[in-house]
Amino acid sequence: MTRPRTPAARLRTAVPALVVVALLAVILAKGDYRANFFSGGGFALGALIAAIALGVVVTYRGSGVVNLAGAAVAMYAAYVYADLRAHGDLFLPPLPNPLAPIEGLVHLAGDDGFSVPHWPTSVSFGAAMGFWPALVLALVFCALFGLVLHVAVFRPLRHAPVLAKVVASVGVLLFLQAVVVRRFSTTTQVVGPLPFVDKTQVDLGLFKITQEQLFVVCLVLVLAVALWALFQRSRFGLAVRAAAENEKGATVLGFSADRLAAATWVLSTVVTGLLGIFVASVNSSVDPNTMPALIVPAVTAALVGGFTSFGWTTLAAFGLGMQVSLVTFLGANESWFPKAGGLPVPGVDLLVPLVVIVAVLALRGQSLPTRGVLGPGRLPFSPTARPWALRYGGPGLAVVALIPGVFFLSPAMRDGLTNTLTGIVICLSIVVLTGFIGQISLAQTSFAGLSAYTVASLSTHHGWPFPLPILAGAAVAVVAGVLVALPALRVRGVHLAIATLAFAVAVDKVVFANSWINGGFDGATVTTPALIRSQDTATHHILGVTIGDGTQPNPLTLVFCLVVVVALGYLVANLRRSLTGRQMLAIRSNERAAAAAGVNVAAVKVLAFGVSAFIAGVGGAVIAYRTGNVTPDKFLYDKSLMFFAFAYLGGIASVSGAVTGGLLVGGGLGFTVLNRVFGLPDEFVLLLGGLGLVVTAVLNPEGVAGKARTDLLALQRRFRPPTLADPPTLADPPTPADPPTPADVATPTTGPVASTEPTASTEPTASTEPATTVPPAASVPPAASTPVAAATPAASGSPAGSRVSGSAGAAPAVAGEAR
Amino acid sequence: MTALLEIDGLYSGYAGVAMVRDLNLTVHAGEIVALLGPNGAGKTTTLLTTSGLNPVMKGDIRVFGRSVRGRPAHRAPREGLAHVLEDRSLFYQLTVAENLRLAAARSKGDLARALSYFPALEPLLGRRAGLLSGGEQQMLAMARALTSKPRLLMVDEMSLGLAPVIVERLLPVLRRIVDDTGAGVLLVEQHVHLALEVADRAAVLVHGDLVASGTTAEIAGRAAALESTYFGAGAEVEAGADVGADAEAGAEAEADARTGDPEADPEDNPEGSR
Ligand SMILES: Nc1ncnc2c1ncn2[C@@H]1O[C@H](COP(=O)(O)OP(=O)(O)OP(=O)(O)O)[C@@H](O)[C@H]1O
Ligand SMILES: [Mg+2]
Repeated sequence: MTRPRTPAARLRTAVPALVVVALLAVILAKGDYRANFFSGGGFALGALIAAIALGVVVTYRGSGVVNLAGAAVAMYAAYVYADLRAHGDLFLPPLPNPLAPIEGLVHLAGDDGFSVPHWPTSVSFGAAMGFWPALVLALVFCALFGLVLHVAVFRPLRHAPVLAKVVASVGVLLFLQAVVVRRFSTTTQVVGPLPFVDKTQVDLGLFKITQEQLFVVCLVLVLAVALWALFQRSRFGLAVRAAAENEKGATVLGFSADRLAAATWVLSTVVTGLLGIFVASVNSSVDPNTMPALIVPAVTAALVGGFTSFGWTTLAAFGLGMQVSLVTFLGANESWFPKAGGLPVPGVDLLVPLVVIVAVLALRGQSLPTRGVLGPGRLPFSPTARPWALRYGGPGLAVVALIPGVFFLSPAMRDGLTNTLTGIVICLSIVVLTGFIGQISLAQTSFAGLSAYTVASLSTHHGWPFPLPILAGAAVAVVAGVLVALPALRVRGVHLAIATLAFAVAVDKVVFANSWINGGFDGATVTTPALIRSQDTATHHILGVTIGDGTQPNPLTLVFCLVVVVALGYLVANLRRSLTGRQMLAIRSNERAAAAAGVNVAAVKVLAFGVSAFIAGVGGAVIAYRTGNVTPDKFLYDKSLMFFAFAYLGGIASVSGAVTGGLLVGGGLGFTVLNRVFGLPDEFVLLLGGLGLVVTAVLNPEGVAGKARTDLLALQRRFRPPTLADPPTLADPPTPADPPTPADVATPTTGPVASTEPTASTEPTASTEPATTVPPAASVPPAASTPVAAATPAASGSPAGSRVSGSAGAAPAVAGEAR
Repeated sequence: MTALLEIDGLYSGYAGVAMVRDLNLTVHAGEIVALLGPNGAGKTTTLLTTSGLNPVMKGDIRVFGRSVRGRPAHRAPREGLAHVLEDRSLFYQLTVAENLRLAAARSKGDLARALSYFPALEPLLGRRAGLLSGGEQQMLAMARALTSKPRLLMVDEMSLGLAPVIVERLLPVLRRIVDDTGAGVLLVEQHVHLALEVADRAAVLVHGDLVASGTTAEIAGRAAALESTYFGAGAEVEAGADVGADAEAGAEAEADARTGDPEADPEDNPEGSR
């Protein structure tokens, strides 16, 4: 059924189409542009991106999961295949031997001769393998791996919030990468050529391409058509789409949703793995970093195809693959290409996916979710801090961390504690954005990094004295955060995650890999006052107490980080208690309802992004001062993924969750203990981290801290909806003791004042400013109470709040997918 | 007459608490059995358990002679069980036609006949199900169930969201389908009088206990007593406070039904959550 289209709708399709046509015309018109765009390498890259994107679309349609580990599967398959061909070994993930504790116990009992059987790390098939057996075996492995992903990870998560699925796929990504790094180190692995095609050039008139490149391109095109036919024309495809959306509905029609989803997982890992193997063969090499990062162009392509169309996805994937060599050529040869310090700006090819994503989302997105669109899924309950927690939590944490940190801990543990503290800051920024207002950002360390480089530049080259660069850095982060917020006004859920991921990857290259900014090989130096410089080994005598033991790191660095953590913790806790915090929760719960109740959704969202980026920016500045030297590796996109995952695991909706997350982060206190006390090597720590992430996400989709709390609250029957007769205490009333919060101040940039002097401005003082407090919801006149009334059920996590996502209840049909 | 559905001393519920206790019920081919009862009585629970979507705690259910215990839930539908779920469970991302096609996929379906009962769906075939109005969605749910040519049809609240005139037209249609195809129907319905007009037999659940069952004539004679249980005044009712809350929820559902908007929940409506 076609309906008359509005002029605006026509414009929405016409403008991007015109832009693409114009670009193509320019490329075709200029001979050297054409030669570089239609290059064999570009085609091969496009084919790989297309295969990954097709796999992403298949799993999305089959189980509603945007599999961020899709590209890592291609890399892993290539490694499996390469090892089979080179040595005839099928390597297994180097998991710790589960029998090891038995051995340890027996040794403790005195029998040193005892040893348990070795835990196999590979299955040998004799000597080097031929092409076909190796290929078949590697693909069987891929199929099994897809099955394991379904059965062990994503089937248990099928009713979980969208967040849990994103976290689990991040865990899979980290795990696969860690396995390969542990097994083969980060160096590239040589992969033998394909036997049936070679490198002879084929002239196709418009361009030349090698036989093997032509082969992979044709293969991908055939696969795309086959998948299209399978999904659009077969009963299987229709059933997959139905079951992915509503399992119960499919079951009563006689379909096994479970088997359909399993089939799509196997299908996607095999398609992705096949092309991973072939393209690695064409390129003759594979390494642990290049392929996994292709997830960004791949999801971009999938997004262009609306996560449904195989045709558009394939086309977009080829375009995104082919533009890379063209952009490189332009950078080397064109005078108009943006330059930094005389060199072409790196990573412009990575800006292209970002621009495409923003364009697609801006054109397709809606400022409010429409009818028939599934919500972002249930999010963990967000508690307000109790007055006692506010009063004693911060000082308590400070003392618990401060005394051992300054006086007792070994240097390594001190380092771990400091990492935990900086980790808490980044986690706090995620708590505000994801926990409070339900927006997923995978670019938090990009904000931090932008701030860190600002601090380095201002403190070293412009001579700004100590605390000022922190404010400037945070301000830069806020600007970036608000920029990212603009597309976020129209998209939500996974789509926002994708957009921010693309942003992070682009910033990695354009800014952090830009030698004009990053200070080249040595990194960017930060001029740090001696008192808090980490390398400073002087001891201080204050009031008869000696601080410092003459070793690095300087304990006062830790104190500095701690002060910031406590200040920001108060900021976030008070934000949650404020009216703004309630409005955020209302938006998280249901944007339409919040808007209907008079909440300015756009303004609150922008504010949340600003506050979150501000916190991340302060975190970046602290990291800069703490290390004294800013290097990109701390802020790359995979760090954002990691922090997001750990924040989620810690418990994404509360300050205590951020603290837990900080304890878990790589290099933090938890890992330092594992490393120092139990002697686990570093790569193992990462591997276990990835695995732990998956396991925890599966077992506690609401995060560690959230789980403990829900258990408690279930006992208290707090989830009953507030009724008129209920005393207002049920609904988490704002108490007159609510302190004025920094977030209530008009602009977020006034926050830094509060954060550097926490005790002065954020100390909860009971009754000083009754004007800013909110009266209990039950007693206000209707006109004044609308926003509060809407926020209250959401804030108390009542069923009324969660029912809106369409399918909460006992058996939520789909745990939501935002469009 | 063959028994399509036999429920034998069934206990079923959630989280270890039996919400339905010692229920016995049979549906034969060619008859309509109405399952009545106030809100929260356990009607939906019974139907879900029959479909294998909720586990049997004690007792047994046999669909087409086979026990549902330990049987994957997607098996019985392939043999001719159709279930219109309380929440409709439509596929919002698929078109109306695709929703119907899926139901026809597992058996030799009869799309044209199903559509003939719901001509209002015809112009909407190309539209995504998520965009339909509440009443249209309910029609689609019914049409989808009929498309699969069921031998046993379970309908949970057919009248939900439908205009009263449509309900009055539909119930006789249900009768016709049964007479035409010899299917058996288990009907959960809040419009007690309409349900009793069309059904052959009826069973009344109150708080999980079967308090009455028999031919519609027998049950209709006690309709007044029955309806009083809907407001928690019945003799069998122990936990009065709970029923009060249920009655409130019922009033709300009625209001929703009147406006025909399935999404009119308290959250959408600031006054509602005051
Ligand atoms: N998933 C669940 N977990 C726990 N309790 C539940 C769940 N679903 C239903 N219940 C409870 O089981 C009881 C029976 O519910 P059921 O949905 O079967 O009632 P019903 O007869 O269909 O009511 P209505 O006419 O309102 O639809 C109710 O008390 C309800 O609160
Ligand atoms: Mg019911």
